[in-house]
Amino acid sequence: MPEYTILAVLAAAAVVIAEVRWLRTGVFRSRPYWIAMGICYFFMIWVNGWLTKLSAPIVLYDPDMKTPWRFPWDIPVEDYVFGFAMLTLVLMLWEHAGRRERVGARAQEPPT
Amino acid sequence: MDDLQYLILMGLCLLVTLPLEFVFGARVWRRPGRLLAAVGPMLVLFYVWDAVAIARTHWWFDERYTTGIVLPAGVPLEELVFFVVIPVCALLTLEAVRNLLDGSAPIVGWLRRDRDETPVPERTTEVSA
Repeated sequence: MPEYTILAVLAAAAVVIAEVRWLRTGVFRSRPYWIAMGICYFFMIWVNGWLTKLSAPIVLYDPDMKTPWRFPWDIPVEDYVFGFAMLTLVLMLWEHAGRRERVGARAQEPPT
Repeated sequence: MDDLQYLILMGLCLLVTLPLEFVFGARVWRRPGRLLAAVGPMLVLFYVWDAVAIARTHWWFDERYTTGIVLPAGVPLEELVFFVVIPVCALLTLEAVRNLLDGSAPIVGWLRRDRDETPVPERTTEVSA
């Protein structure tokens, strides 16, 4: 069973559901989020490419736990799904914490 | 040196993104409480995922390129560093992009000031010449 593939897809879905159902930070409708994700993916290709290059891999994967697809170079396609879940979650939590800070600051202002 | 490869790569990521904090006014490093609130829960979840993946041998790490320092649940030190460094890079990128889009990034002000300070007569001389 490609357990990594399954976990990556489940994690990405869980993050999307957490946003839509619970955190509602609006990241998926925000331009800065999509542009930042694009930039992150561009740099991820270099960093991840170095970590997973089959000529001298730092991280190695069990071929039975994932799909055989690697792109570009030797990056497992699952890593992009993993990356989506990780980066989106942290950006969502950042937006959520920022909103709470603003609400807190407003609550401390004297009533006008 | 080879056993530091993973850590050096992470160090480079921090170094390359550091200017975003100041040149683009990202203010991620300077808001440690908010940074912790964002990275903390994500770090816990992805640390658990990493531990499960290592235990189930979804992936493992070459001893040549890692320090060999292993944290609880069999997670290499490098992975913990990864789960802090990469999110910080992403947050710096998000805030830098936001500040560029709304024009509040310091570099936007610096460039504008440079342009405003260009003496006008010089430009007319160029045109007449």
